[in-house]
Amino acid sequence: MNPMGHKELRQRMRERRAWLVPTLYLIALGAVAAISYKFNSGDPFDLGPWKEPQGAEIGMALFSTVAYTQLTLLLLLVPVLSAGTFTIEKEQRTLPALLTSLLSTWEIWWGKFIAALLFLVLLLVTSLPVLSLTFALGGVGFLDLAITTATTLLVLASMSSVGLYCSSYFRRSVYATSVTYAFLVALSIVTVVAFLLLERWWASQQVLRGGSQEPPWWVATPLFLNPYFPLTVGRFAKEEVILGLGVSLALFLGIGLLAAVLALRNLRRGYEDV
Amino acid sequence: MIEIRQVRKTYGRIQALDTFDLQVGRGELYGLVGPNGAGKTTLIKILATLVRPDSGEVRISGHEVSTKPRAVRAMVGYMPDVPGLYQDMRVIEFLEFFADAFHVPSHEKPARIERELERAGLGARANSFVEELSLGMKQRLLLAKTLLHDPQVLLLDEPATGLDPLGRIELRDRLTQLNRDGVTTLISSHILSDLEDICTQVAFIDQGRNTLDAEGRPVLVLQGLPEASLVTCEVAILGEPHAAVAAVEGFPGARVVTAAPGLLRIELIGGSQAAAKLLRHLTSAGVDLVRFDARGPALEDRYRSLFGGAR
Repeated sequence: MNPMGHKELRQRMRERRAWLVPTLYLIALGAVAAISYKFNSGDPFDLGPWKEPQGAEIGMALFSTVAYTQLTLLLLLVPVLSAGTFTIEKEQRTLPALLTSLLSTWEIWWGKFIAALLFLVLLLVTSLPVLSLTFALGGVGFLDLAITTATTLLVLASMSSVGLYCSSYFRRSVYATSVTYAFLVALSIVTVVAFLLLERWWASQQVLRGGSQEPPWWVATPLFLNPYFPLTVGRFAKEEVILGLGVSLALFLGIGLLAAVLALRNLRRGYEDV
Repeated sequence: MIEIRQVRKTYGRIQALDTFDLQVGRGELYGLVGPNGAGKTTLIKILATLVRPDSGEVRISGHEVSTKPRAVRAMVGYMPDVPGLYQDMRVIEFLEFFADAFHVPSHEKPARIERELERAGLGARANSFVEELSLGMKQRLLLAKTLLHDPQVLLLDEPATGLDPLGRIELRDRLTQLNRDGVTTLISSHILSDLEDICTQVAFIDQGRNTLDAEGRPVLVLQGLPEASLVTCEVAILGEPHAAVAAVEGFPGARVVTAAPGLLRIELIGGSQAAAKLLRHLTSAGVDLVRFDARGPALEDRYRSLFGGAR
């Protein structure tokens, strides 16, 4: 195994958060699943009259809630797990020793990336039983689980790469973490705002022209960069917007690769700073 | 072994190195001396492949550091001025990681780690966490890590900083032993007495340039002094100095600087060979010698004359 990845994993699993984070994560996910089940399976506030839902409806609603919550929680953890990886080396003055070893900058980057991602994969795997609970209710198949896990993993890998780039750029962990969070917020919220503005603009144009056309595909383009978009499209609208899903996944792959290339360049240039 | 020609390096408006030259022969233990901000750390970072020079040639064993960094890293051990250690790793894990990072063959790894642990006196602390070690132990661990891949060249930037006297003595002994084993060493240090004791030669640097001494030489030879050089001899004797003074005055090129009961200071032109002849001469003249200490020009005096006035 890559010595860098081996070292990183060993150090990560030695920290207190190695058991604390999965514990809190599963408690939060379990709580959301329980509340979602309660809301979707009956009249939680006894407001009646209530239409008894089908098991498959409950299963689908529960699966979606847990999948979105899972992605949200993991996205919140991405900066914590990735944005400190190089800055900590700068802060404790260990980067020169790494850069003067026979490890290539690629090996150093890959070791850090894979260690950050594997921790997220660990969380993803631990939550599989919670997601699989919905199998008992119906409406959700193995393919749904596979698509959800794969799209979530790709988005997390891409955002981890962004975190590593920020870590290679900044000297202090606090700045790298803040900027990574800001980037995530921008992708999650600004893209939705941009989509809504475009949609509103299109609607106003239709009113002015007296038309009633559905918005064209490009109105939704800001959403291609939203981390929740691949999950949403992959789950609910498979055939219709398969192209949109492909573009969105390609964009996230592109962001991840670009961040990796820039991080490697920073590491090579970082010789001047260490 | 180390060839530096006309090297320049700037950081923004700051000229860290300006047409600096240095030649270090194989097996030498070479000192680099200069005030803070003189360019010592930049020079060592360039040699360690951490910083690229703007212009000039920098070669280690024939490999240009800018174009063949991996070849250079394979033969160089670099110890930075501020020791960087993974505090949350065990000593043995730390060494295992760097053995892997330097591609030490797996069948040799345990033996090399054990060897360096023993040499560093950390055999009993192999399973301790790095954060539990004293500063001296940490410095020894860093040196052990630096030596794991059997480097031919050692680049040490202020290695004695923060060490207590015992730690400094241990480091000095270790460097002397490595020098005997044929390792070429370039060491920058503010502790002139340490450099004076172990280095064969010393180069002066100020504002990124070679600084010439009073005789216009860029390098000060400390050991194996050439024939024309001035040697200061401190001679401890039994009793009154009259007989010894008379014997010295009869020796060509020698001059008594101070004479007191039990101690003489002599200046002698002729390098190490003349010092050996003077020792024989004094013994044959019947002087009761207790100690005879011949040194080149005192590094501290030279340092003061070069940098003292301006700062």
